[in-house]
Amino acid sequence: MKTPPSRQKTASVEKNLSHPDAMIDMHGVVKTFKNAAGEFTVLKGVDLTIRRGEFVSIVGKSGSGKSTLLNMITGIDHPTSGRVVIGGTDIYTGVTESQRSRWRGRNLGIVFQFFQLLPMLTLLENVMLAMDFAEMYDFDERPARAMAMLRLVGLDSIANKLPVLVSTGQQQLAAIARALACDPPLLVADEPTGNLDTRSANTIIDLFEELSRRGKTVIMVTHDPSLTSRTTRTIIISDGELINETIAKALPWLRHRHMLEFTTLAQTRTYPANAIVLSPNEPVEQLFVIQSGEADVVLQERRKKETILSRLKPGDFFGENELLNGKRSMASIRASSDGPLEVLTLPGEDFKRVMAESPVSAGAVGRIVQERSKVYRAADHSKFNPFSLFRKS
Amino acid sequence: MRDVVKVYSTAAGDFTALRGINLQVKPREFVGIIGKSGAGKSTLLNMITAVDDLTAGEVTIHTNGEAVSLHQLSEDQAALWRGKNLGVVFQSFQLLPMLTLVENITLPMDLCGVYSSRGSRERALELLRLVEIEEHADKLPAFISGGQQQRVAIARALANDPPILVADEPTGSLDSVTAEHIFEVFEHLVTEQGKTIIMVTHDESLSPRFTRTLRITDGELDEAPALETVSSHNGRRRK
Repeated sequence: MKTPPSRQKTASVEKNLSHPDAMIDMHGVVKTFKNAAGEFTVLKGVDLTIRRGEFVSIVGKSGSGKSTLLNMITGIDHPTSGRVVIGGTDIYTGVTESQRSRWRGRNLGIVFQFFQLLPMLTLLENVMLAMDFAEMYDFDERPARAMAMLRLVGLDSIANKLPVLVSTGQQQLAAIARALACDPPLLVADEPTGNLDTRSANTIIDLFEELSRRGKTVIMVTHDPSLTSRTTRTIIISDGELINETIAKALPWLRHRHMLEFTTLAQTRTYPANAIVLSPNEPVEQLFVIQSGEADVVLQERRKKETILSRLKPGDFFGENELLNGKRSMASIRASSDGPLEVLTLPGEDFKRVMAESPVSAGAVGRIVQERSKVYRAADHSKFNPFSLFRKS
Repeated sequence: MRDVVKVYSTAAGDFTALRGINLQVKPREFVGIIGKSGAGKSTLLNMITAVDDLTAGEVTIHTNGEAVSLHQLSEDQAALWRGKNLGVVFQSFQLLPMLTLVENITLPMDLCGVYSSRGSRERALELLRLVEIEEHADKLPAFISGGQQQRVAIARALANDPPILVADEPTGSLDSVTAEHIFEVFEHLVTEQGKTIIMVTHDESLSPRFTRTLRITDGELDEAPALETVSSHNGRRRK
């Protein structure tokens, strides 16, 4: 018996907006710029939750709105509408510019592509400056604290050097030490390795990983795919909107505009444990992408014995073979016994159209289909051992 | 500067960046030092700003009626002297992004303790007026153009009213129109404020703008103009 799924329109990123662990909660953030040529909306209603201790990369093409998004988090610019709550503080409602500046000094460390160290001050003095400005720590305490920060980034032996006498990688490390001077829970970095060689860049990312392990929330804007692989989460922004993270993970070869289109089209369905999502021989009209929970691919044999071909996990999809080859469902898909299954569904016609427009994606999906068909045929001849390589990755 | 030599020791051996530099700069000169990348321009500036030690020779600077031999100063003494006597402007403007323009200027003043904190804001506004950017005083650097940011950096360099301004490729990341405006600011500082400016650049086309142009090649300084095409302008604009 098939259980009717519960349906709802999916939110652009995460729906759990009032999570107790939330470091950042953005609700319906819109930013419109006005100029002589008219109005231009750069952020089109962004909802985003980032939890404490996450190490998040934000990626997007030039002009996608990623810098504006970052400016909303740092309080450098203000939204046209919507709310931004950071560490429980609504940073725009009823807050003056100077209150925000004070809040920023104590709660936020910012690291930029160009390091903005004051050239006539030593590395140590540059780090102390941040404490001076935020009026944090006793005057006498500041040098020792600044030195501790430089030790953390491995620069204590050159603390008294001026910035021009150290390498660019070391300058960036000093800028990070400065950003950490007031012990902020949140570190925001805008292309922090954009001006560095690979080795220095790796040192910076290692440091960010370590900080995130220690409980800091680290958000990094980057366009470098080799860096996004190091973060615990990647958020893609396209044309002022956030791409659903499950779609980006499941279909990484898609162009951002196609990901965004799927984000808009996707609907969420939830199935209880053991519920049947697809029965054998059923017509397939959607692509299914697993958002949370797991699903079993089950082959029913004539003697009622069932074979579990594979277990699908979040980010895996099913239905693609049937859609692309005009077939009916080949196996049954069942929510696992461990708990509820949440899937995103995409209209089959849109999926087929995008595959036709995007040869790279079609090729990647084609290879998955081939692999799966092989597994299916082998199992169908009752010669196959369960738990195959059926899964996408 | 007398017979200034700078040798860097690296794993690969010694590298001589400056080979006996002799240079005299008079008050109210606008001196341009032109050289290719690696010619020793930045090292030369580091000697004038006492940012780095010299290997041999002397650097003596006369300001406010006293002569100071930079090569004899300790690091702390050098920092103190620098804070009062030198303003430095770089290619990248190094403004602190979380501070408004006026705060970017008051911050180094507060550190040096030259002005009281009320006085420092007024002084900062006065400097922003001098570089014609006063109306943006309470904006963050992200909201003004590169040329405007460089004006703020110049205002910051002037914060403690130093007699000498040192600039390292200050127009290197600006378009030509914006660069032109920045040059006008520098020229104004020399003619109206009596500042002495030393600028290093790789850009040959700037040489007519200086009251005196020097060239640095492989760590050696050469007062004679190297390019015939600009020779008629060189060194003739001094009043």
